Amino acid sequence: MNREETEMVSRCQQGDQEALKEIFEKYHKKVYSIAYGVVRQREEALDVVQEVFIKLFRSIKNFRGRSQFYTYLYRMVMNTAIDHKRKAGKQFMPSLDEEGSIQPSDDAEKGPERVLLQKELEERVKLAMDKLPAEQKAALIFRDVEGLSYQEMAEAMGCSIGTVMSRLHYGRKRMQESLKDYVKLPGQSRGVSTVSGR
Amino acid sequence: MTNSCSSVSTVLEKYFDQEVTDEEKLLVEGHLEDCPACQDVLKSMEELRTLMKVPVAEAVQKEDFPWVWQKIEREIRLQEKQPWWQSLRSWLDVTPLFRRKVWIPAVATAVVLLLFSTQIIFEKTPSYPDGSVVEYVQSQTDNVMVYQLEDPKVTVIWLFESPEEERTTT
Repeated sequence: MNREETEMVSRCQQGDQEALKEIFEKYHKKVYSIAYGVVRQREEALDVVQEVFIKLFRSIKNFRGRSQFYTYLYRMVMNTAIDHKRKAGKQFMPSLDEEGSIQPSDDAEKGPERVLLQKELEERVKLAMDKLPAEQKAALIFRDVEGLSYQEMAEAMGCSIGTVMSRLHYGRKRMQESLKDYVKLPGQSRGVSTVSGR
Repeated sequence: MTNSCSSVSTVLEKYFDQEVTDEEKLLVEGHLEDCPACQDVLKSMEELRTLMKVPVAEAVQKEDFPWVWQKIEREIRLQEKQPWWQSLRSWLDVTPLFRRKVWIPAVATAVVLLLFSTQIIFEKTPSYPDGSVVEYVQSQTDNVMVYQLEDPKVTVIWLFESPEEERTTT
């Protein structure tokens, strides 16, 4: 943590709302990005952002500075987002295994069809992620969406680097299986087109 | 996959995540030149990363955040439990009735009115409405009451022989 950030966090710990605003200015996009990565829905992700900063203001006194502040914050975001997702998950959600969804088109380069395919693909990714255990989902979002290092991930997830690597490995494997129509599996030829080149 | 793939399989994912040492990097890159299978593994991970990352990046770009902060600020203010004097103070601050422009003249008027009213209250009032003055002198033996009428000028002295008698007569 640099001096400026230490001071900002310290002011916030003393109840300075202006300091919280500075933290918000610095991290809100990252917080939204992690939240969106988990819930994959705009309104819900914004709710998570709000909840996280309110929670942070109340609990920042517990931050002892043993880890980077952002890993402390990211951990809070991940837990809040997963919690939100769990609550929302009680509502009906179609399973990935269900048949009858829109099939990916070979003619994906055409405008409206491409848009449709992208929507379908996003929905597929969302459903595939929903099926992952929370720890694997967190690992994938921290690494593949946020680009955190193994060390930062270990801090944010409160585990060892070995555990981080294991969660990443199994998370990727599961995702590749769930999205095999879209992601080329090693040693397999893909039967349908992909939009990964957009 | 070839037999030599097993030598890099443990570090291939680390290589993809850019967590390898220089030595491991050289090993993996040397192997990848001749191994389409391991290239596929990397490509597959890259595709998966794109699938997860792009929608999130697009969502972040589209979003407008200032109102989110306003909501957070309001929520924190609502949740804060203030001591009663602070609540009163903040209420006074926001209530137009209690702004300085209003309460200073109001207090000044109240003070003036109070002064006037105390003068009226403590003023010696005559017993009779036509301006007569009554004096009452009390002693151990007799009590005396004196009163004067302004118009016509008449002075009346009233002597009570003893307090006991006064009590019985009144």
